[in-house]
Amino acid sequence: MSPSPPANGVRSSWTAVRSMLRQDRWALAGALTIALLALVAIGADVLTAIEGQDPYTYRTEALDPATGAPAGPLGGVSGDHWFGVEPLTGRDLFAIVVHGARTSFLIGLAATAVSVLLGVVLGAIAGYLGGAVDKLVTWTADVLLGFPYLVFMIALAAVVPGEVPRPLLLIVVIGFFGWPSIARIVRAQTLTLRNRGFVSAARSLGAGPGHVFRHELLPNLWGPIIVVSTLSIPGKIGTEAALSFLGLGIPPPTPSWGRAISAAIDWVATDPMFLVFPGAALFLATWAFNVLGDGLRDALDPRTAVLR
Amino acid sequence: MTRRRLAVATAMAGALALSACGANEQPQGDAPASAARGGTLRVLTEGQTVNFDPAKSGSLAITSLGLVHRRLTAWHNKPGEQAVVVPDLADTGKTEDGGKTWTFTLQEGLKFNDGTPITAADVKWGVERSFAPAFSGGLGYHKQLLEGGADYRGPFEGAELKGVEAPDARTIRFHLVRPYGDWPWVVSTPAFAPVPKGKGAEPDYAEHPAASGPYQLAKYQKGVEARLTRNPSWDQRTDQVRAGLPDEVVFQLGQDASVVSQRLTADSGDDKSAFGASFVSAAQLAQLANNPSAKQRVVTSESGALAYLALNTAKAPLDNPKVREAFQYAVDKTSFQIASAGAAALAGETATTLITQGIVGREKFDLFPAPPAGDPEKAKQLLAEAGFPNGLQGLDFLVSKTNNGPEKAQSLQASLARAGIQSNIRTLDGDAYTEESSGAPEAKFDLTLASWQPDFPSANANIQPLFASSEIGGGGYNLSRYRDAEVDRLIGEAQATVDPVEAGKKWAALDKRILKDSPIVPLIYTRNSFLRGSKVANMFIADFPAYPNYLQVGLTP
Repeated sequence: MSPSPPANGVRSSWTAVRSMLRQDRWALAGALTIALLALVAIGADVLTAIEGQDPYTYRTEALDPATGAPAGPLGGVSGDHWFGVEPLTGRDLFAIVVHGARTSFLIGLAATAVSVLLGVVLGAIAGYLGGAVDKLVTWTADVLLGFPYLVFMIALAAVVPGEVPRPLLLIVVIGFFGWPSIARIVRAQTLTLRNRGFVSAARSLGAGPGHVFRHELLPNLWGPIIVVSTLSIPGKIGTEAALSFLGLGIPPPTPSWGRAISAAIDWVATDPMFLVFPGAALFLATWAFNVLGDGLRDALDPRTAVLR
Repeated sequence: MTRRRLAVATAMAGALALSACGANEQPQGDAPASAARGGTLRVLTEGQTVNFDPAKSGSLAITSLGLVHRRLTAWHNKPGEQAVVVPDLADTGKTEDGGKTWTFTLQEGLKFNDGTPITAADVKWGVERSFAPAFSGGLGYHKQLLEGGADYRGPFEGAELKGVEAPDARTIRFHLVRPYGDWPWVVSTPAFAPVPKGKGAEPDYAEHPAASGPYQLAKYQKGVEARLTRNPSWDQRTDQVRAGLPDEVVFQLGQDASVVSQRLTADSGDDKSAFGASFVSAAQLAQLANNPSAKQRVVTSESGALAYLALNTAKAPLDNPKVREAFQYAVDKTSFQIASAGAAALAGETATTLITQGIVGREKFDLFPAPPAGDPEKAKQLLAEAGFPNGLQGLDFLVSKTNNGPEKAQSLQASLARAGIQSNIRTLDGDAYTEESSGAPEAKFDLTLASWQPDFPSANANIQPLFASSEIGGGGYNLSRYRDAEVDRLIGEAQATVDPVEAGKKWAALDKRILKDSPIVPLIYTRNSFLRGSKVANMFIADFPAYPNYLQVGLTP
């Protein structure tokens, strides 16, 4: 974070994060879980290659020939199928879960990037320029915050032609509905910074809005941005899972936790492990981002960071 | 033509909806105690409505509508016996000019539930009423066949339909535009139920129809229940297809399929005398497998609708018959069976013909012999010969969300991938799917998964709706956009044949002739499973159709 913001001895964000991770064991556990899941997502192909499976091949020989449920106890968990297999298809559940992590992280992180980009730009413009622009942005944000976005997404998913790549559509739509909460926080922060001495000084020295934004505001905004974006990732992963659950997410056969959970509901009485593994993965991912986000907020909360 | 095509599509939708209404005696289960007269039978139905308006109904002759309305003819429906047309209100019809004019004689002493006699004029009125735009939507096989039907708009505008004559109270005569051997089957469809002459103009006729069957509609509340009580005017001696055993039949509407399954598994209270009208899903069947009491009460049909993969013959690269032939070998029917119902025995036999089991004239053959799991190498070789040594990429695979379509389609997608055929599944909701798959003459998709249950047990109803060029677009079910002038001519010839055995031979020849072109890949003859309570007796599913015979179901005392 250079140039480091002027005045009042604020610790750099990075130092604050490191000290928080040393002190807050939950946040540390969250950070480690995220790192682990990220490694799993990146190395999904390698991991499934080690297991000797892939998430697409049907292995009907792993199913009970009488019912189509996995053969063997615990949903068919074995040396060949570490998490067992999917009922009716025999596809490897471990492969589905680790490749599903890739889908969830890709959509979750990319949608958050879209939200952050839109939210920071619009929030900073509204806060810094004020007046009609501020009113327009705040009003739009309020409308969007109250918008039944899940219903809208369901409708949109049904209307958008098949040629539009589904992952891109999901990223753009989920990301778009995420910007208002970020814009609000950035705007509030910008309002307090706008009249601070160093910003006035830069302005009186002839700096344009662009320069002020990049060199004076942004370095002081990173803290809150990191906090809100981390806290919004689990919601976005959850939204992707919800849309996939409803059959509107990433099209099959690309693995997705939401779709796996949706399929598993019907099987919960006969093959609970089919629900447990993708469910646990979704739980771990959302839990990890939430506790890390909480820890980060303690360290970088916008209401305390600047005053500290 | 449009009206008829729409009618066919609705018929299909009707058949699908019906699938939610029946239970049957399981072939492998214990024989239930015999049914006695009396009691209240409950039918747990997923749909919010049951339409008792004969003009608007797509109901098969042996399910819900048959309890209230009789038609001119009925179906002989017994396990292990072929479906044949039998007398109902009338005899099975006579023709003296090779199938162009048909005469039916009504039985004596038939009465509506209010005691007024049922006459030929009432049947004629019912048929005419089905042409009124306000009452369209039912099975419409008759609409283009009756003389003057093409531009007739119903009796409420004052005009009579030229093609139907009622010279006296017991005689009804139909004049067709061309010879049609299956006409006695067509008059078993709902539109040939009597409606008292001059009545039935109100849009809610479905809620208080004049009954000719063993029951009358006593109470109808959309989304809650339809309650049928005995029709005092119905005489058992005039009716050979309806047993009329329970005192009341109650359709409980808007029931969730999985809740129905749980209730019937638990088998307590009123649910003992209930059956589920929906198919039992694969997951539910797996659950029932561990419950000996409930397992006995699963009723599975021997056969059923043809599930098939339709190939768009009007669009490159599938306009090349050699490429389509490769699909016949690429598909893994075993994994499709498992994806459908968990096990081959529950899903139904693998299909190799267009004509379904239990239909007169059906010949079993296999033009593309391959192991049930497919022969990807042979498929690759055929693709290479057709000029695609690297397989096919990016095929658009349109799938309806209903009936576990996406899960079944994925199994096909995976099996095609083994042969180097890469496809992208595109799922749509039921209505959007119907619109895109059958609405327009030209289709965007390359592949689509479909299923066809004939509306009456004749090979005609297997083949004509799926492969006649007149059924392309406008709601017709020729999803493959298959267009072959010779096939059209042969269909016309077979339809004009009155003798069922001779017609059967012609249809069997057509079956081979069409499959040689591979417009579709037959997958399985889908078995349907239903679940019944422990007091429900005499529920059976014959070879055709794959639904329980509601007319014979009773309760043990």
